[in-house]
Amino acid sequence: MTTPPHLFNKILIANRGEIALRVLRACKELDIATVAVHSTADAHAMHVRLADESVCIGPPPARQSYLNIPQLLAACEITGADAVHPGYGFLAENARFAEILAAHGIAFIGPSAEHIRMMGDKIEAKRTIKRLGIPVVPGSEGPVTDDEAARASAAEIGFPVIIKAAAGGGGRGMKVARSADELTKALMTARAEATAAFGDDTLYIEKYLDAPRHIEIQVIGDGKGGALHLGERDCSLQRRHQKLVEESPSPAITPETRDRVGDMVAAAMAKIKYAGAGTIEFLYENGEFYFIEMNTRLQVEHPVTEAVTDIDLVNEQIRVTSGLDLSFTQDDVHLDGHAIECRINAEDPKTFAASPGTIANFHPPGGLGVRVDSSVYQGYAIPPYYDSLIGKLIVHARTRQECLMRLRRALDEFVVDGIRTTLPLFRELVKNPNIIEGNYDIHWLENWLADG
Amino acid sequence: MTDKKAIADHDLIRQLADLLTETGLTEIEIERDDTRVRVVRSTGMAPPQTPATAASPTPPVDRHEEKPSETGVHPGTVHSPMVGTAYRAPEPGAAPFVNVGDTIAEGETLLIVEAMKTMNQIPAPHAGRIVEILVEDGQPVEYDEPLMIIE
Repeated sequence: MTTPPHLFNKILIANRGEIALRVLRACKELDIATVAVHSTADAHAMHVRLADESVCIGPPPARQSYLNIPQLLAACEITGADAVHPGYGFLAENARFAEILAAHGIAFIGPSAEHIRMMGDKIEAKRTIKRLGIPVVPGSEGPVTDDEAARASAAEIGFPVIIKAAAGGGGRGMKVARSADELTKALMTARAEATAAFGDDTLYIEKYLDAPRHIEIQVIGDGKGGALHLGERDCSLQRRHQKLVEESPSPAITPETRDRVGDMVAAAMAKIKYAGAGTIEFLYENGEFYFIEMNTRLQVEHPVTEAVTDIDLVNEQIRVTSGLDLSFTQDDVHLDGHAIECRINAEDPKTFAASPGTIANFHPPGGLGVRVDSSVYQGYAIPPYYDSLIGKLIVHARTRQECLMRLRRALDEFVVDGIRTTLPLFRELVKNPNIIEGNYDIHWLENWLADG
Repeated sequence: MTDKKAIADHDLIRQLADLLTETGLTEIEIERDDTRVRVVRSTGMAPPQTPATAASPTPPVDRHEEKPSETGVHPGTVHSPMVGTAYRAPEPGAAPFVNVGDTIAEGETLLIVEAMKTMNQIPAPHAGRIVEILVEDGQPVEYDEPLMIIE
């Protein structure tokens, strides 16, 4: 048996909950010492209990603890940590944090500050991605000022189109036009709504996708011009833009399509010398991909990719940040079988109202192909200050059919008492014919919930 | 010194003052070439991050069994407002700011917590007598860690 390489001596995990535990596990397997940081509300959290050292960095509000850069730096200083893993959320996509760590000689386990900043700016990201040859949602290049320009733009994009307020958000000032006839009226309505809602009638036009799927490609780069893709995840089952179920491979993607889009994305990331894990998110409709955004971090749903590729993404993140090469090549990547993840949230399964409290009974499922990433335990009091994710159930099997059956029995085994969780919702979902057939898009879950 | 530099220093001081407020620190000192700028907030004024004291109704109850009971919840406990290294004296070899048995006034410096080369003086939240000092000189401390007990 060979000794695992000593990459960093000590990694400070700047996060909490299940992802802090996930990172801690990778560190332990690499024989790297761990420092947990926590707010006063998380003094008894599992990541604090399992870490080699822990430092309380502030009071419960995240702004004063998990987002408090001076306190995190001081924690690195007193513990001698030589690298920081940010997990997801909190400071994971904060370019300034990455820069400050670099200035203090501490490694940030993630991409460069430049790449974080580039992809964090929606317009800059879209421009960069387009320049790298990845398709984006076709649209007017800038604002459309008059109806003549709008007609020309719509004709070029092709109907249906969606008119959006430049200052917009939350669906207001958004109108769909399915033909040239509908366009004039849609422009008028959108302009009036935009003025009323935002005091700004600047509009732009984009291609409207009726029923797209959310398909994302996992990439990992070595920062030296090498980048590989690990296939796709289908995260179309969303509620209010929050993913609830993710699977890999997607029931809608053929191996040929995967290779085509995967190679395209990997080549683009290699070109910008991207370092670490990243995800390129697309809308997918009628065989075409349209870029939405890139996440320059590890994602919540990364375990489905790990299940089908048998590659430990956190391990690889740590490797490349320390300057080592990735441990595999593109030829080593095969999507083996099928994996599905369900996000167990401390929420009412019908109203989705948050349900903090003490967990009276906790019994996670087990058996072949079952993984539970969770930081909760029996008697644990879920603090009300942070997000509601209490764990993830990931099942893996040889086929999608087997995977669904395994998921069904694992969900039935899973016991979380004392609080309300989304488990009952998933138990219903796995029996739905559309889900069993893989026949769903990004609107499916909200429509199904609305039908009660 | 050119006018330009004087303006730059003016801006620098303003930036440091903002940083002081933002971080809740009590003192920032930087030295560059021939210029040294030190911005200090009166220690009589409690920094905004000063944690649970006798006046605060909810000091966190620590269920860790290995910690001395009572100490964590003693109403006169002074907790660390930040992560850093505690120093009991203004410089190595000097006499400590305070010793057990000393009577101190509100606002008097009890010790220093150093974080990122910045010395933060920790003022007494109230007048009284020092009955216990819970940290050693040079000891790393975390947020909310009990430092001293004043009665």
